[in-house]
Amino acid sequence: MTKKNGTDEIRAILEEMREEYWQGLAEVEEVREEEQEFITVTLGGETFAFETGYASEVIRVPKLVKIPRVQELLTGVFNLRGEITAAIDIRPLLGLPQLPLTPLSRIVVVKAAPFVTGIIAEKVEGVRPLPMNAIEPAVTSLDEKQREYIRGQLHVDGMLIMMLDMAKLLQAPDIVVNNHV
Amino acid sequence: MPNRNKYLSIFYKEGREHLLSLQKGLLSLEKAPGDMVLLRELMRNAHTLKGSAKLVGLEEISAIGHRMEDLFEEIEKGRKGVDDKVIDLLLKGADAISRLIEAFSNNEDLPFDVPLFLQAFDQGEIPPQIVAEKQQPEPVADETVRTNVKILDSLINRLGELIINKKRFESNLLRLNECLAGDAEYLPELQQFRQDMEEDVLYLAYLVQELHDDALALRMLPLHTITDGFERMVRDLSREHGKMIEFTVTGAQIEMDRVLLEAVKPMILHILRNCVDHGIETLEERLVEGKKPKGTIKIAARLEEGGVNIVIRDDGRGIDPALVRKTAVNKGLLTQEDAAAMEDKGVIDLIMEEGFSTRDFITDTSGRGIGMSVVKKNLERLKGRLTIRSEVGRYTEMSLHLPLTLSMMEALLILCNGEYLALPLTYVQESLKIRAEDIITAAGKEVISLRGSSIPLVSLAALLGLPEPGKFFPDEKLTVVVLKQGGQSLACAVDATLESSAIVVKSLGNQLKNVHFVFGATILGNGDPALILNVPDLFAAAEVGITAGFAARLGKTEGKTSQTRILVVDDSITTRTMERSILMAHGYSVDIAISGEDALEKVAHADYDLVISDVMMPGITGFELTRRLRALDRYRDVPVIIVSSLATDADKREAMDAGAQAYIVKGSFDQGNLLTTVEAFVG
Repeated sequence: MTKKNGTDEIRAILEEMREEYWQGLAEVEEVREEEQEFITVTLGGETFAFETGYASEVIRVPKLVKIPRVQELLTGVFNLRGEITAAIDIRPLLGLPQLPLTPLSRIVVVKAAPFVTGIIAEKVEGVRPLPMNAIEPAVTSLDEKQREYIRGQLHVDGMLIMMLDMAKLLQAPDIVVNNHV
Repeated sequence: MPNRNKYLSIFYKEGREHLLSLQKGLLSLEKAPGDMVLLRELMRNAHTLKGSAKLVGLEEISAIGHRMEDLFEEIEKGRKGVDDKVIDLLLKGADAISRLIEAFSNNEDLPFDVPLFLQAFDQGEIPPQIVAEKQQPEPVADETVRTNVKILDSLINRLGELIINKKRFESNLLRLNECLAGDAEYLPELQQFRQDMEEDVLYLAYLVQELHDDALALRMLPLHTITDGFERMVRDLSREHGKMIEFTVTGAQIEMDRVLLEAVKPMILHILRNCVDHGIETLEERLVEGKKPKGTIKIAARLEEGGVNIVIRDDGRGIDPALVRKTAVNKGLLTQEDAAAMEDKGVIDLIMEEGFSTRDFITDTSGRGIGMSVVKKNLERLKGRLTIRSEVGRYTEMSLHLPLTLSMMEALLILCNGEYLALPLTYVQESLKIRAEDIITAAGKEVISLRGSSIPLVSLAALLGLPEPGKFFPDEKLTVVVLKQGGQSLACAVDATLESSAIVVKSLGNQLKNVHFVFGATILGNGDPALILNVPDLFAAAEVGITAGFAARLGKTEGKTSQTRILVVDDSITTRTMERSILMAHGYSVDIAISGEDALEKVAHADYDLVISDVMMPGITGFELTRRLRALDRYRDVPVIIVSSLATDADKREAMDAGAQAYIVKGSFDQGNLLTTVEAFVG
């Protein structure tokens, strides 16, 4: 009997330890979440941000070869170290004006699950941590289409940053072509 | 129990390997029953399967492995002979294990009743219902090193980049040469440096090229990686049908791109099934015919014309053109006269036509037919072609001609609207420069005349939806690439043609799948991509009637306008485009239909003043169309002109009987002839 009590005790202690361990992990998670780094880009003259985890590199806009008879936001394909990669202009998707590209314009190469694609940005501002707990709902002036791919907005240093829902954006049917034969 | 999972996946892998050698070895054993070395090896396979399965707790597999091992042991001790029945039993054992492994690894239920199976195994025969819903394992022999396809592709990509880098070196060297050439006073050291560098670049070029070739070769696999599984299939299938068939494969060492191999496998399987099902006769029939009781099916692969030719030949009953004709006529696909006028060779080809090879067509009577159109179509997609030869009572031979690889192709580079594009050379007939007067002007449509035949002319930029090149001066020459597909031609106006060369083919990836007009892309010497056009799509788009409009830009005036409406019915794009162009040039309003059925659909919604129809088309013939038109109130008296390549008096009589007003033979078909005839009816 005492033996059984003993094992129960040990079990309780182990349970407690496990609890503490998980709590510790969760705290670490939260802290990390708050300090997450974001890449900020200019689209249609406004600042947008998304998690750096999606971006694999930022390149100058190379020669883009237009694909015949596909939707306009598929701007063209380019050579990414031997892989033919599509460059997409997500501004129409967000209801933004397609301002002309300049020498400052860049392509942010992002990894979607089934493919790698290049997002055209008027400018890449940089990488910075953003306080995710300060995120607020996006202004109501945005239309539904815009809000679909926007998680919210942030005021940082007097600047308005729109948070992109990159996961959702990369699943938008508008950015793929699949003409069944 | 993460450990068990780990061991399980190891076992599945090991198990599959043992099964492969069992399945392959058993077939060899059947041919060489005395091979004790082989026998012992097979016994070991069964033994290992039994042991490992027990270890990971898969009792069912272990039990079957055990039975198989026992049976091998009896053979070894001479207590049992190696005959069909024993081999069959063992193969079924291996099959059973293979299915169990698949089921377990996919967390599925047991696919059949194992105790019942064991009982039947002990009795020496497995009734099919026990292992019902039998699925064909398709073992793939593998004597090569396994590697990750992704790594392979990335290796090839990087080497491609290296080639581009090499090209930059070469052009830099040229620049250096130019710099030094003008001035002889440069230091001799610099000259020496230039020379050394030239040699280095040359060597680099050589190495890179070799490396690239090697890397491409890594994508190649021998044909036997797919044909090894066929032997088993033929064997099982012939048993099911109670036929005796000897199956041989030659040329299986020929290497092809793995992507092509995967694509061609179902086609060969399909043809083989047809051979067994319908080609090879039953034992009785063969004896009556005085043939060897054992039928043969041979696959022979040969390198030919820069590609591979895979010939599948059986010595069965062959395809009887008379029966094909009869069935076609019975099905209402051809008239008696049409069928009679066709050559035997053409008749056999009918079985590849769409509509001819529907479900229940010619299965039993004449031999083949099911799904051959699908095979043909898929083959064309791989830039291959299918030819059929046959002699009644002797043989049927299906030849699949394929390129060796899709990762490299010969292509013509062109410039269109300032963009580089590649056209696969297999589709390019020629390129030429034409003048304005070479274009036969037509309202909305233009054709050019080339060695007596008229070819529709289109602007490639317009087809692709690219902005049109600005102007086209009457005294300027226009560069035209003539493309061919099947028997049809299409002239595409482009900015310029550049060199033709071997290019590396890349896919557009998962984001851009099955993009219209684009087959893939290649990377040019300067590192920029260039699209490789999908020529069949160009033909399809040209058909819809995107116009070149050169005539309009030349300011040529169109012919008289008239309200006369004409329906042109023809399955050939060349013919109907030509007819349409000629008629539109003379002010008629023209609609087109691509088949008799299509025409009937169109006449239901419009009133035409005249119908011009071909005879031989998929579906109903021009004669039948005429008859059906005559049955319609609105079309009882509308003139019908038959335009056909059939020239016999019987054909002409049938046309008249059906109610046609005129008959023009395609051979004698020219602008004047058609126009006079049309004018005779509608003025």
